[in-house]
Amino acid sequence: MKDLIYTEGLKKYFKTPAGLLHAVDDINLRIPAGQTLGVVGESGCGKSTLGRTMIRLIDSTEGKVFFDGEDINTFDKKQLKHFRKNAQMIFQDPYSSINPRMSVSQIIAEPMKVCKTEANKKARDDKVKEIMNTVGLALRFYNAYPHELDGGRRQRIGVARALALDPRFVVCDEPVSALDVSIQAQILNLLMDLQETNNLSYMFITHDLSVVKHISHSIMVMYLGECIEQADTDELYENPLHPYTRALLSAIPIPELRREKRAEVIRGEVKSPVNPAPGCRFAPRCPHAKPECVGEKINEVQITPTHKVACVLYY
Amino acid sequence: MKNEKLLEIKDLYAQYNTDEDIVYAVNDLSLSLDRGRTLGLVGETGAGKTTTCLSILRLLPERIGEISKGEIIFDGMDILSLSEDEMRKIRGKDIAMIFQDPLSSLNPVYTIGMQIGEVLKYHGIYKDDQAIENRVEEMLDLVGLPKERKNDYPHQFSGGMKQRVVIAMALACEPKLLLADEPTTALDVTIQAQVLKLMNELKERLQTAMILVTHDLGIVAEICDDVAVMYAGSIIEKGRIEDIFEGQVHHPYTVGLFASIPNLKVKTRRLSPIDGLMPDPADLPKGCTFNPRCPHRMEVCKTEEPPCVMIGEEHMVKCHLFASKEGGRP
Ligand SMILES: Nc1ncnc2c1ncn2[C@@H]1O[C@H](COP(=O)(O)OP(=O)(O)OP(=O)(O)O)[C@@H](O)[C@H]1O
Ligand SMILES: Nc1ncnc2c1ncn2[C@@H]1O[C@H](COP(=O)(O)OP(=O)(O)OP(=O)(O)O)[C@@H](O)[C@H]1O
Ligand SMILES: [Mg+2]
Ligand SMILES: [Mg+2]
Repeated sequence: MKDLIYTEGLKKYFKTPAGLLHAVDDINLRIPAGQTLGVVGESGCGKSTLGRTMIRLIDSTEGKVFFDGEDINTFDKKQLKHFRKNAQMIFQDPYSSINPRMSVSQIIAEPMKVCKTEANKKARDDKVKEIMNTVGLALRFYNAYPHELDGGRRQRIGVARALALDPRFVVCDEPVSALDVSIQAQILNLLMDLQETNNLSYMFITHDLSVVKHISHSIMVMYLGECIEQADTDELYENPLHPYTRALLSAIPIPELRREKRAEVIRGEVKSPVNPAPGCRFAPRCPHAKPECVGEKINEVQITPTHKVACVLYY
Repeated sequence: MKNEKLLEIKDLYAQYNTDEDIVYAVNDLSLSLDRGRTLGLVGETGAGKTTTCLSILRLLPERIGEISKGEIIFDGMDILSLSEDEMRKIRGKDIAMIFQDPLSSLNPVYTIGMQIGEVLKYHGIYKDDQAIENRVEEMLDLVGLPKERKNDYPHQFSGGMKQRVVIAMALACEPKLLLADEPTTALDVTIQAQVLKLMNELKERLQTAMILVTHDLGIVAEICDDVAVMYAGSIIEKGRIEDIFEGQVHHPYTVGLFASIPNLKVKTRRLSPIDGLMPDPADLPKGCTFNPRCPHRMEVCKTEEPPCVMIGEEHMVKCHLFASKEGGRP
């Protein structure tokens, strides 16, 4: 299968008063057309930053992103505009990412206006109605303002706006985290239906491990800016290798009674991503930490063609 | 454990009188909670979970919010007849709340030690500064934070640590009742697991009763003793945790809630969410409020409010489906 989008050694560092903050550090990932890559990891591990860098909402510090075989950093203005149309993002916070002074229809029409994808106002209006229908927003909300809607409907605006330009790749940044399970299920079904009909590729960011399993073809686990394990979804859940991945999976609350007692929860706090010392960033919390874990960069080990892990246990 | 009633809410109605509408947020809600027990309060956005908690504390927004009917008995006291002064003495001391957006309940300009100390000082449990200082350190220790960090400001902590500070604040006076409104929603699973473990330990140690508001049924399974499912301001099903998770008979809404969660073990391509949305509380449907979304709707559901049917000793379902025959089963 052809990769729609892939990265090579992608890095994003932020300058902070305390030093360089390694938000995204040397990420190699690939997403085939029509597939979903799930990205999971703790709060602050760099998921949103990775998503934003992938679609050039922010520039990378180092490394490359290829879309349809082309390096997106080399795009001129015209190419970038075309890329913007193809690569969209559903933002983490449905509240702050939409302009409260615009009506629902204006919000959805905005990207079409900017990219001039529809011939005239009439065509735009028709398209807005069509999309509202697709995402399950009743037309009576056409002139409503975001604050009049509940979280689920507001998130649908976010989905609608991202889809207005018929993109091929969408970064979905925690699109359902703020929603109830039943609305969450509606949005997940919607995203999966759209993927099927439009052959969309998603990068699906979340910290909900049940949701990510449901929607992803493959999954990348991040820890403090780095990819520590990546595998096809079933493989990852059946055979998690990295101690952090194992801790994550065993910490999922399952809606069932009388399960075997869960394994000991990992203790300790995430270390600072500012000027991290070389070595495994999870080592301070890892039950299997060894002297080799610190001092040198941990290399990725390819376990099967579709499963790699960065941990000295598998050297 | 003393099996003694700590909280009893009877036929509570709460509403918001806004400029345009009257929002009927809590409608005919009854529940009771024994000492040392944890009740999970689940339901979709807008079901009235937060409003219920705020009513118990009498913290509904001034002028707009109003408890229009009902009774709240806490520890033998009739909460709704207390004066504001008496109420202030109870808040934070006998009943504490972890608010839905916990991170905003910390003041960025004070150290976390000062903020925990403030609660203690206010309720006058610890008189001298040294005693307060000791208690602050004890609380930090209890939630697994190094006591040296009491002099740090909120922004110096990660999300999970801030959450624990908020919990420490809520528990500092050893409340008899803790209202925890989505206490772990902002956290990721490893930190969430730490916090839940902590709350479980505290429950055992301090015999704190707790109402845990959440929409994560996994969390409910993990730490609750009883569950109440809320829909459009009423409790439509309640029971012991076994009744809700393993019982054979449920309200159609509860069935829908469970079908909406992606299952880690069974692979399904499509989830089966409940169609439609929670009704507008300013314009509630007649009869059963769930009827427009219900796959089992009957004629009677459109006109008559369903009765509360006891399915088991403590298992209640508010639904016409089960009212038809003796003994409650359809
Ligand atoms: N503009 C910025 N300037 C400086 N630091 C930043 C900036 N944006 C993000 N960061 C830092 O980069 C790191 C990664 O942040 P990011 O928002 O990508 O995390 P995340 O994985 O999306 O977290 P969450 O799950 O909480 O959304 C964090 O330590 C954050 O504080
Ligand atoms: N200050 C207010 N003024 C008017 N309406 C309000 C106010 N606060 C809440 N409401 C409405 O009352 C209803 C119940 O709200 P409540 O916050 O209790 O729900 P909830 O179950 O806590 O939802 P969530 O899961 O989103 O926190 C909702 O329809 C809400 O819009
Ligand atoms: Mg993020
Ligand atoms: Mg609430």
